[in-house]
Amino acid sequence: MTINKQESKSIESFPLEVASQKEAEKSDLQSIKKGNLRTYSSQKDNAREFTSLIKKRSTRSIVSSMLGCVHCGLCASSCHYSQTHPNDPTMTPAYKADQIRRIFKRHMDFTGRLIPWWVHAKSIANDEDLNRLKNIVFGTCSACKRCTFNCPMGVDTAALIRFARGILTELGIVPEGVFAVSKDQWETGNQMAVSEEDFRETLEWMEEELQDELGTDKIHIPVDVKGCDLMYCINPREVKFDPRSIADAAKIFFLAGESWTLPSFGWDQTNFGLFSGDDQLGASVAKNVYEAAKKLSAKRIVISECGHGYRSTRWEGYNWANYEQELPTESIIHTLKRYIEDNKIVIDPSKNCDPITFHDSCNLVRSGDLIEEPRWLLQQVCTDFREMYPNRQDNYCCTGGSGLLSMVEYKPLRMASAKIKADQLKATGAKQVCTICHNCVDGLTDVIDHYKLDLKVVQMLELVSSALVV
Amino acid sequence: MADISVDGDGFLVDPTVWTEEIASILAKEDGTGDLSDNHWKVINYIREYYTENSMAPMVRKLCKASGLKLKEIYELFPKGPAKGACKIAGLPKPDGCV
Ligand code: SF4
Ligand code: SF4
Repeated sequence: MTINKQESKSIESFPLEVASQKEAEKSDLQSIKKGNLRTYSSQKDNAREFTSLIKKRSTRSIVSSMLGCVHCGLCASSCHYSQTHPNDPTMTPAYKADQIRRIFKRHMDFTGRLIPWWVHAKSIANDEDLNRLKNIVFGTCSACKRCTFNCPMGVDTAALIRFARGILTELGIVPEGVFAVSKDQWETGNQMAVSEEDFRETLEWMEEELQDELGTDKIHIPVDVKGCDLMYCINPREVKFDPRSIADAAKIFFLAGESWTLPSFGWDQTNFGLFSGDDQLGASVAKNVYEAAKKLSAKRIVISECGHGYRSTRWEGYNWANYEQELPTESIIHTLKRYIEDNKIVIDPSKNCDPITFHDSCNLVRSGDLIEEPRWLLQQVCTDFREMYPNRQDNYCCTGGSGLLSMVEYKPLRMASAKIKADQLKATGAKQVCTICHNCVDGLTDVIDHYKLDLKVVQMLELVSSALVV
Repeated sequence: MADISVDGDGFLVDPTVWTEEIASILAKEDGTGDLSDNHWKVINYIREYYTENSMAPMVRKLCKASGLKLKEIYELFPKGPAKGACKIAGLPKPDGCV
């Protein structure tokens, strides 16, 4: 018997029908009944609905990105897809955006309505056209925003991609994985459908392990404690598959004498709405977190290591949810920095002697303003920190951004585009690469496996925890 | 059967075709190596749980059922419970950030 891996198919060949949508429709889900989770119907005039949603949803900034492109071609040299496919014009950011732009022009711009052939305006005719668009906006862009930062006209291609994704999501024309994860987050409030019982049981287990390790029963992992200084929110994969990071955080909170709690609901700081472009899902998930903090009278929300979760909860969620958020929200990275500055925890960098490089997560450096803090921390917790080049706002995506980790059909193309990241990693000569994003952990692991690099992925909590002087 | 069809992440395209032999082949392929009794304890539990619940178990449940420590799970399956153990047990890729 031999293993037969899925062939690298043309990106436009993935089908319209989503098998799990059929199952979901049969199982009578609340989120479908309420109209939150959308499924595809071939009976509707989807092409028409699409253009009407473009009209309805275009904001000032979307319009300026629709109209601003002068096709100078500069962005081609900033995108990891086009840089690794130099002879394929369909991989350039401008081409991808043009597939949305031409529909906009055909219906909303007067030149496009009068002389469509002149400005390359073209409508979409049917569901097949929409499916093709789906494969472009979900399959050929990780919404990393690198092109956005390098466009002289201020065109935000990543925002156009998200805009189109959102409208397709409304029509149920999405990749299998996008539907599955959205379903879980709508139905259960978290991306991995973890029940409250399982959540609590895992935390109790980690608490016992920590009590054993530190030889004290004073250490706790509190849930739903009111009036704490800090409410901690996590990524579901931490509790479902790898709760070591929860134990690390709990240990550090304990040693720093922190007053903290997790909420029993609203603990998922990740937000698939950012990826699918569904602002309603974005609003609902972010609001769960804000409301949990309010209910528990927490003084601050702290988000575990996560790029898109930080961007969603700290920056975008207030707008999606139209929420008057007064509580400060920070990343655990800020919290750790404060502990070390205030001597609340003591660190011995000689416990982390391997050469370590740092991978900047797109959502943190280009949309989150979390740039120097992790570097400062790395200087404290290890002995050989070396930059990767280019870095900060110029860094390349791990290639797994924008939910692509859950869209396996596009993986062959993603791995081909990862050549840049692999070269970047290799050139550092580091033995470990630190990232402060759970999504990037898997994105980088895929790159490392595919290009057979001798590197281990680590996160900041792990490094701080192993450097602790207890 | 001649071929084992897997997706881009190496997960079985059709979870129902899983056999112990396939598990051994998948384990070799992803660097887990030969499967010991402890590996099988984990794999069998994952399959049982999946058959009943149509989803992957929490790692907590895995540890409890197998009597193994979290650290040991990671030693047994270097790719971790989701991308390692669940894959070898023939489950489809779990939803979410993995
Ligand atoms: S850099 Fe900006 S203006 Fe130039 S082609 Fe790209 S999106 Fe258009
Ligand atoms: S956002 Fe990133 S992946 Fe998408 S087109 Fe721009 S540079 Fe390429």
